[in-house]
Amino acid sequence: MKVEPGQATVLEALGARQEPISLESLAEQLEMKPETVTGIVFTLEEDGLATVDERKTEGLCLTDEGSQYESQGLPELRLLEAAIGAGADDEPVSLGGIVGQLGDDIDVDIALSNLARKEYGAVSAGELRVSVVNPADEEADALAEIAAETSPGVEESVIDRLEHRNLVERRSRTDRYVTLTETGRNVVADGLEVTETVDRVTPELLTSGDWEDVEFTAYNVAADPPRHIGGSEHPLRRMAEWVKDVLIGMGFEEMEGPHVDADFWINDCLFMPQDHPARTHWDRFELAEPARIEELPTDLVERVERAHREGVGEHGEGYHAPWEEDFARALALRGHTTSLSARHLAGEARGDLEPPQRFFSVEKAYRNDTIDATHLLEFFQIEGWVMAESLSVRDLMGTFTEFYEHFGITDIEFKPHYNPYTEPSFELFGVHPETDELMEIGNSGIFRPEMLEPLGVDCDVMAWGLALERLMMLVSGAEDIRDVHGTLVDLEYLRETEVVY
Amino acid sequence: MPVVDVDPDELRRLAGAEDVSDETLIDDLFALGLEFEGWTEDGALELEFAPDRLDRLSVEGIARSLRYQYGHDRGMHIPRTNRSNWTFVVDQRVPAQRPYVTGAIVRDVDLTEESLQSLITLQEKLHETMGRGRHKGAIGIHDLGMLKGRGATESAERTSITYTGIEPEAERFVPLEADAEMTPGEVLTDHPTGREYAEVVAEYELMPAIYDDLGLFSFPPVINSRRTEVTTDSRNLLVELTGTDQWTIDRMLAIVCYALDLRGAEIEDVEVAYPEYDIVRPDWEQTTKQVEHARIERTIGIELDRETVLELMACAGLDAQPIDENGLAYEVGIPPYRVDVLHPVDIVDDIGRAYGFNELEPRYPDVATVGSRHANSRFERAVRSLLTGVGFEDLLNFNLISHTANFERMHVAPDDKVHGAGTPVTIEEPYSAEYEIVRTWALPSVMLVLENNTHRAYPQALAEIGMAGVVDRDEPTKTAERRTVAGVIADHEASYEDGKARLAAVCRRLGVPLETPACEHPSFITGRSAAIDFGMGAVGVIGEIDPAVLVEHGLEVPVVAFEFPLAAIRSAAADQ
Repeated sequence: MKVEPGQATVLEALGARQEPISLESLAEQLEMKPETVTGIVFTLEEDGLATVDERKTEGLCLTDEGSQYESQGLPELRLLEAAIGAGADDEPVSLGGIVGQLGDDIDVDIALSNLARKEYGAVSAGELRVSVVNPADEEADALAEIAAETSPGVEESVIDRLEHRNLVERRSRTDRYVTLTETGRNVVADGLEVTETVDRVTPELLTSGDWEDVEFTAYNVAADPPRHIGGSEHPLRRMAEWVKDVLIGMGFEEMEGPHVDADFWINDCLFMPQDHPARTHWDRFELAEPARIEELPTDLVERVERAHREGVGEHGEGYHAPWEEDFARALALRGHTTSLSARHLAGEARGDLEPPQRFFSVEKAYRNDTIDATHLLEFFQIEGWVMAESLSVRDLMGTFTEFYEHFGITDIEFKPHYNPYTEPSFELFGVHPETDELMEIGNSGIFRPEMLEPLGVDCDVMAWGLALERLMMLVSGAEDIRDVHGTLVDLEYLRETEVVY
Repeated sequence: MPVVDVDPDELRRLAGAEDVSDETLIDDLFALGLEFEGWTEDGALELEFAPDRLDRLSVEGIARSLRYQYGHDRGMHIPRTNRSNWTFVVDQRVPAQRPYVTGAIVRDVDLTEESLQSLITLQEKLHETMGRGRHKGAIGIHDLGMLKGRGATESAERTSITYTGIEPEAERFVPLEADAEMTPGEVLTDHPTGREYAEVVAEYELMPAIYDDLGLFSFPPVINSRRTEVTTDSRNLLVELTGTDQWTIDRMLAIVCYALDLRGAEIEDVEVAYPEYDIVRPDWEQTTKQVEHARIERTIGIELDRETVLELMACAGLDAQPIDENGLAYEVGIPPYRVDVLHPVDIVDDIGRAYGFNELEPRYPDVATVGSRHANSRFERAVRSLLTGVGFEDLLNFNLISHTANFERMHVAPDDKVHGAGTPVTIEEPYSAEYEIVRTWALPSVMLVLENNTHRAYPQALAEIGMAGVVDRDEPTKTAERRTVAGVIADHEASYEDGKARLAAVCRRLGVPLETPACEHPSFITGRSAAIDFGMGAVGVIGEIDPAVLVEHGLEVPVVAFEFPLAAIRSAAADQ
């Protein structure tokens, strides 16, 4: 029979003996790597030439501390030796003096308690008296025997004590034993024909043409490989990119703008009354430095103030709330990225915009609150708006239905809602794929005239915002994504999370 | 968002919906915008809603909305209101910060424990919302039987109370939940309710006070006197509101009166006599708005006939008359408890809700636009893909960080002249010391990730493209924000060369030259740190992190790191 060289070596070795042999001993005998021998033996088993059986044995091994004592001596014996060296077999000596002579690696408490337990000596009034010289220590002997793997002679009670001292561990191990089958013996008896196989494909092999005549060594292609860690995009970033792709496909153009911005752009332009609870210092990310913006378009500030005080249109009505330009100039970290929409609609970001337009951003917004499982100080807001001569609630619903369908969410519910800057307004709800829980996944509406008119927009604009993290929870089925974003991220998470696409 | 607890049986009774199941009731409430959050321990519905329809802060208000929804009520309801002989006299000494007052007399209330509790809850909820924590408006409700009006003001039939301002220690009265007389000043320091609301009057020179013939009975917006406390035995009530804005307190009054009216009480108006003018409250004069039919159809997105629109408005509790000027429009009367109707669009929303927004069929808008990525975002994506391609794991850190992590732990001071230094954008009164400034560079965040992952397998090659910023007086927003690129390689064998090799690979693919003249930086080992120069001067830093910084972060392996602004490599790329 034709066999590979490795198989031949193993077959011949096994043919020479009747008794099963452990793979470890076989590898040692053949001076081969254990994993190589194991691989070969399994190929022989597959071919029906050998049988492998597993035997479980209970064994003992030393812990790290046990090995240390095995080589350096038990601490109580070292203490005893030092004490005798100081003359403690004659009369008690000062413990402090002896301890000073011992190395730093000895835990004196351990040494003393075991010395006392074994009745080798005792301490009283800070002085150590020893009662034996050169005792036969069965624990030290046992450690040596276990280290030399000749432990069967050690008494159970001694092992228990050493285990209690955390110097040895009882460990069960599984050994594989191999023996030839009848077929195997016949194959060996009939004589083996060894094929020459080649491990690596080398340049010489290819250029010389020798590759045509060789056989390549078979690998254990089912074996686990070493772990490879490559670079890859952050899961939340990947989700953001996916959202961007979908929105661009739907005709949206990307916006960007400042994280630190005036309350004017963050709130006043959105017809948020200055005494709105969200604008109190508890919820705003107020800045100690820098404090105020200088440049604001004067005309726009006037128009916005008028809208707040008087409303817009013949039948409009303003807020019955104070309005201070100084507050509008206060700088803050944006609480939403609708500030970017305000800057775009006002013509500040890209000049005056004529309908139709679609714009979006997937950018960070900040939330000044305590952090908990589902709330972080920073989150990504998906912000989008459509500007056209005429837009209805049906257009708004159609846009979101289309958007969420790209992420496999087809059962959106629209709940009539209230926002200071949109009317009508809707909260969007979707069902979490894992928990079946109805989750809020967005907030939307048609911008109010009190917002649009001061910005100089005289057509319809519908807008929506939602947290990217929420969408990711719906798409990935994750229930808790608290440690995804931020410096507490577990690299294992980045290395193992399934990608979304 | 406001949350109210509502007894479902009470709600059914008031709404005339005794045979509606819990499940249907919850659905009908959802359609009104009231989201069912769960059951309370007492078996009440916990409802959350957006703060526009503040008339729904009580079971009575929610019942009224349901009555319209179920068709029991139609059109606008105005409570029948009689004249009373009470006058609220506003004295010259009234605190300048709280000049307005309003109120009403309410007779024949039949208060049970439940309805009294409902009234108190409504009062508290209105304080939290419209009243802006009692700053803008506060309500006091008193047992009229315990009050003695003062003598005539104009005629012998009229009797009065007086709203005035007094020195904090000028008067003593027994406040609610107390047994002894206290001055307003003592209430603010010694009474639990007083302590809670002391900040509302902290800037007032004089304390607001309302007197009847027997003395001070209300210290708005803080506390009432015990003498006039409302109990289930009270039959007639005096309601007074003080605040910073007449419109706001009048609307709060309307919401309270409508709730009591639904329970069958009789409302009587009062005269408010300001030094310069007199008004009568509650004022049920309705506001009207004109809404165009075309606007309704445009926003809702369907065609509607006139009768349908009129019917929907009646179902929303509005009074509507068609008018034909240049095309069809409606004159719409709005009930006084509505605080949310600022513009005709709010009426369009009411019509849509009455029609049922969820009945509408979505349609993709017939609007053609061309989508595109921002150029900055396109470039950022290209650089991120190059970084991951050369083996960096992409990070996404917070832009907020602690001062210590950003500066001290990196051995950098804000006013150093090195990469990463600068005056940080600083949060006022941060909740957490971990997040108190906007990071001035990204490398500290990446170092924190290394610090938190020492138990994970090495090598750890990590990179982030994210935002950083410093205070800059020349910028319009006083902040120079930038996208920054930071990378580290932490490994037993990591050296300067490994970092530079990967950075050089990225530069080659962008067609950007890379020079690294030696420089000194306190975060890096001297002799193993360099400036990054893409051919336009030093813009960043690369080097091996100083062992002191490594130990500071609990790291036991060498780390090579770099950081530079994304815009710098972009302009260098554009320049080639």
